[in-house]
Amino acid sequence: MKEYSKITSENIKKLRDICTDNAVIYEDDSALQAYSHDEAGGSFYAHMPQAVVKPCSSEQVSQIVRFAAAQNIPLTPRGAGSGLAGACVPLYGGIVLSLERMNRILEIDTQNMVAVVEPGVVTNDLCKKAQEKGLYYAGYPMSVHSSFIGGNVATNAGGSKVIKYGNTSHHVLGLEVVLPDGSIVQYGGKRRKDSSGYDMVHLFIGSEGTLGVITKIFLNLVPLAGMTVDLMVPFESVAKAIASIEPVIRSSSVLPSAVEFLDGTSVKYSCSYNNMELPFMQEAQAYMIVQFEAENSEQIQTLYEKAGKLFLDMGALNVYIADNRNNSEKIWRIRRNWLESLKAIDPNVPTGDVVVPISEIPAMVEYIKAVGKKYEVDIPVAGHAADGNLHPAPLNNGSSCEQWREVSEKILSEIALKACELGGAVSGEHGIGFIKKNLLSITKKNQIESMLKIKKSFDPNNIMNPGKLYEY
Amino acid sequence: MKMAVLVKQVPATENIKIDPVTGVMQRDNLQSELNPLDTYAVEQAVRMKKNFQQSTVTAVSMGIPAAQSILRQAIAMGCDEGVLLSDRAFAGSDTWATAHVLAKGLQKLGGFDIIFAGERATDGETGQVGPCVAVQLNIPVLTFVSEVKIEEDGKILATRSVEGGYELVRVSSPVLISVVKEINEPWIPDYNGMMKSRSASIKIMTAQDIGVDKADCGLEGSPTRVSKVFYPKLTRNGEVFSDSDPEKAAQKIVDFLKEKNIL
Repeated sequence: MKEYSKITSENIKKLRDICTDNAVIYEDDSALQAYSHDEAGGSFYAHMPQAVVKPCSSEQVSQIVRFAAAQNIPLTPRGAGSGLAGACVPLYGGIVLSLERMNRILEIDTQNMVAVVEPGVVTNDLCKKAQEKGLYYAGYPMSVHSSFIGGNVATNAGGSKVIKYGNTSHHVLGLEVVLPDGSIVQYGGKRRKDSSGYDMVHLFIGSEGTLGVITKIFLNLVPLAGMTVDLMVPFESVAKAIASIEPVIRSSSVLPSAVEFLDGTSVKYSCSYNNMELPFMQEAQAYMIVQFEAENSEQIQTLYEKAGKLFLDMGALNVYIADNRNNSEKIWRIRRNWLESLKAIDPNVPTGDVVVPISEIPAMVEYIKAVGKKYEVDIPVAGHAADGNLHPAPLNNGSSCEQWREVSEKILSEIALKACELGGAVSGEHGIGFIKKNLLSITKKNQIESMLKIKKSFDPNNIMNPGKLYEY
Repeated sequence: MKMAVLVKQVPATENIKIDPVTGVMQRDNLQSELNPLDTYAVEQAVRMKKNFQQSTVTAVSMGIPAAQSILRQAIAMGCDEGVLLSDRAFAGSDTWATAHVLAKGLQKLGGFDIIFAGERATDGETGQVGPCVAVQLNIPVLTFVSEVKIEEDGKILATRSVEGGYELVRVSSPVLISVVKEINEPWIPDYNGMMKSRSASIKIMTAQDIGVDKADCGLEGSPTRVSKVFYPKLTRNGEVFSDSDPEKAAQKIVDFLKEKNIL
């Protein structure tokens, strides 16, 4: 393991010279503590930074990176801290480089249908700004109200709209990046095509801050859909629910904009949290949420009529149809608040993020339930059904903090390895961070070699977010 | 049991804008929806219908022809039929005139045991129309109702949410009941409900059909006059100092505070 330098008060003086006194936190444990963890497992995985620096421009980021490299101080870039794999946790202390002050929407270019933003823009703020101009930003992680665009790019975040619009990488046209040597480079831009050389933009997407700091993002916007309709469909078994996906998508002749899944246990927890009751809460083992977009109400009617009938033919217990904003909100509140509802029971609930071929979802859910039985814990599961992306969330059965960390890691590892056995991967959208790096090393051994070569060429001194993705 | 529910079409937005010159709500490009607070009244009537054989629920609204869509939504939630009171003469009706038209419509349809209404509409926010309909029909009105039970003798036992507690009221039908949100949690229409609502025919009744004199409705029949509409004057004004350089922005604030003799 590499030895890094400790930050001195002299170092802090220099950092304050770069980006003003108030933009540096040092020797203030209560303020530093907020930057010691993300949303994964709460204090389980926390590591304190020595200092937090909050630049407000690419130039300041560049100076900080140069300084850290020269002083051999590790740098951990951080967005909103809404990640679920520990990617922004400063494993080796050092500097947390928080992008929270770089939060400007620089441009909504309607002619090119491109947004240019700084990394600290909250995803939903961009969605609203684009909407004002009749455009739509289709990156939609479930943490849309808190996550930053920069974090979405760094982890290649997914969300509920991936089935139709793809994950974050599908929306990024260009990036400005501060490389580990402090140089500021722009890859891509407002253009939609570029076959000149390596696709550097996509190399940085999902790199989790290990190759550089993203300081500006060019995003693709699409025309705003006229109307939406949401269907909530309870099924008595997971197998029946999943078997309905392909026929419904195929018969609709348009891709749904969301196909979400919650198991019966998840619905019970979320409904209790939201003070709601759903029909069939005793009988249903699975609920699907399907959303379609269309230009007008006639198209909406055709879509829900066709899909609704097919769901019933496929054995749905009933089909509930929300064609207005109030009813849609009732449906989505259940899905969006799912994790919060579990945190109300267990604040440190860890969230898995496995992906499997759609056809393997029933086998995966069955396995998750078997693992729950083996360890005598409840494991609610929700996810993005049409992507085969599931989030199992084991709830502490009363173990002590340390015991539970060990047990929950075992549970999630067993589930992740089973996902790979079923043709999937250990992360669909949350990334690897440091919590899953062992799983990555087991399941993508050959690829890690290539990743390490890339890392070494960009960051030979291993300053950028050390300890993430792989051991180096 | 024969039940009616009064429903209203309201703009589907939180940001209603008023034309400062005419004082009229700017409805251009605004989508409409069933008044969210009316959904609780619809849900209550539909739930009671399920408990009483041979009972019916009629959703009634006064509005423009496009308001048929909210009656269809009420049918999708379980109402048996929708009746729209629609006539150019009704345009511009205030709460009294609206209540008059609704009362006449209900009289024409005849024989309702319970008439449900929401607490108020999210656009006008007056909460007057429901009680005013009861007055014009000369039947009792129970407002802020959070629970309704039918007793064995057919009497209605209602719980009213009042300041500091609850009030239990026993009443004979016919009665008008306006409900609060606590009464139930309206759920979403199912496939069969949606399909039924699409093929349902909405009965449209004009001023002539329900025997409303044009002098008693619309602007002419409205005793209320909107003489002026204005936005509340802000007593405090915010000022934003922005600059890409935080030090310069901070200096602007310091200068401002010095100018005000605060620093």
